[in-house]
Amino acid sequence: MIIGANIKEAVRSLLSSKQRTVLALIGIVIGIGSVIAMVSIGKIVQEESLRQFKEMGTDVLTIESQFGGGEPSTGGRITRSAPKSKIKLADVLAIPTECPGISAVAPSVRGNGEASYGGKKLQNAGMIGVTESFLGINKLKISQGRFISDLDAHNQFCTIGSMVATEMRTLGSGDVIGKKLRVGQSLYTVVGVTAEVLEGGMRRFQPNETIYVHITSALRSSREAEISEIIARVSTGVTNTVARDQVLAYFKSKTKKSSVRVTSPEEIIAQMEKQMQMFTLLLGAIGSISLIVGGVGVMNVMLVSVSERRREIGIRRALGAKRGDIRGQFLIESIILSLIGGVLGILFGVGASVIISHFAKWHFVLSSGAILLGVGVSNAVGIFFGYYPARQASLLDPIVALKSD
Amino acid sequence: MLRLSEIKKSYHIGPTEVDVLKGVSLNVDKGELISIMGPSGCGKSTLMNIIGLLDRPTSGSFELNDAEVLYTNDDALSDIRNRNIGFVFQQYFLLSKLSALENVELPLMYRDDAAKFTREHSMELLRRVGMADRAGHRPSELSGGQQQRVAIARALVCNPALILADEPTGALDTNVGGEIMELFKELNAEEGITVVIITHDPGIARQCQRVAVMRNGVIVP
Repeated sequence: MIIGANIKEAVRSLLSSKQRTVLALIGIVIGIGSVIAMVSIGKIVQEESLRQFKEMGTDVLTIESQFGGGEPSTGGRITRSAPKSKIKLADVLAIPTECPGISAVAPSVRGNGEASYGGKKLQNAGMIGVTESFLGINKLKISQGRFISDLDAHNQFCTIGSMVATEMRTLGSGDVIGKKLRVGQSLYTVVGVTAEVLEGGMRRFQPNETIYVHITSALRSSREAEISEIIARVSTGVTNTVARDQVLAYFKSKTKKSSVRVTSPEEIIAQMEKQMQMFTLLLGAIGSISLIVGGVGVMNVMLVSVSERRREIGIRRALGAKRGDIRGQFLIESIILSLIGGVLGILFGVGASVIISHFAKWHFVLSSGAILLGVGVSNAVGIFFGYYPARQASLLDPIVALKSD
Repeated sequence: MLRLSEIKKSYHIGPTEVDVLKGVSLNVDKGELISIMGPSGCGKSTLMNIIGLLDRPTSGSFELNDAEVLYTNDDALSDIRNRNIGFVFQQYFLLSKLSALENVELPLMYRDDAAKFTREHSMELLRRVGMADRAGHRPSELSGGQQQRVAIARALVCNPALILADEPTGALDTNVGGEIMELFKELNAEEGITVVIITHDPGIARQCQRVAVMRNGVIVP
């Protein structure tokens, strides 16, 4: 059997029934296309969230107090019996000198209480007590005025996120600098506005919807307030693991119980990638359903083609074609059909993901994996759904086949 | 060349068993031009299918070139058909999508040693049957007689020792049928190819060296 001749025959046969071929192609193009689009959009979303993450740098550690506000309750009652080992601000500020692996720290205190301006509630605003270093470590930018300074410890000043500023303006503040807003029981004077940044990633707060006050003001505002999270930048040339061990050892020396948890971005990225893989897998599975429908279309076309060409099969058998030759001929035909569908499907899927990522303002990445997947899957569809019709053709009795019209 | 002895063939049609061949014995020597003649329903088509290795008898023995072929597997039978037997059918059975030349070349597709048959070989056969000037035409562009000539060229392409023709002139008018018969006689006389023609037409049968008459599933002496 000459494969070249078979391919020529297959192309000729597909061309001779154009309408049917086109219909089968539509099915397979949509199937492969949706798998490609789903998988590459999953990939794009994954890249996108990692990009937000990496924007802050991967050399930051998050240090959290394990006995923070979110302590698990037992028996439905909030237990306050466990002695709270509050992290002392002075201890935190000493980290860069005590641990050579850490170059800077930014402790933060979550404030509570409603924020309001001119007696009206600010919908999207939460207070965080910070130090001057917070701005740099979190890679935030100032668009107006200045950030909280370490000299503000005894002043009721605040710097606000861009969304808070917008909200204040809609409440009629005009220029927000110098205006006073209220959080809980305290009044703060706005001294600056931060520039709008992407949310998510390593920042566990909404940078655009936050009112930044000095950490001592926040600690002073409520008895419950405590340092809940410290972001530490790792010194250049030191690995995250080394820095992390130093931090753990330092806190152990300060308190009897090791009461902090240190998370490095690698761990979070690894966890996110795992989640994203699940997400991509899910999308791929949804796409596969349409692929199966497309495959059934291919099978249908091939079955029709076999029954229309029964006499041809009989003639070929009489002239010396073996069963395998007939099977091969029809299998090649369905593989060619699926491969053409696969190539068009790749174009369709990539096109769809370009358009979607354009409108979603995502950064488009062409994933070679998706293309390989498309070619591989379409080939597999051709073989899988073409095998049954091809086998039917090969099992035809030559005499019966010759007599049919 | 062909040695058939006590070939029986029965079919099950529903619960009843129909004996189509009731013990056919026939010897054909190399280089013979023989016709198998009989009325329709006498079993000659079934016999032709068995000789052409498209069907297997229920019992009996069939030697082709001194080798028993009944116990050969399907793939090997395909190979024997390809190499030793050239088929000519009443309805020509050319593939409509292929040109005359491509139809002639078709059996070569199923040979491992197809490379030793050149395109010139196929053209030469078309010339032999007087169809060289129609090599690029599709069967639908040819008359019945012309199609049958192409089919004969196709039957010859693998240099078979035997040509098996099933009512080769059945769909043609008498003049054209006569030309086709002349072609068979020529091939038989000049190339020594054994030709077996199945027909119900005594006029055709009369042109052959030997006539085997079939009636009710047996060859009558």
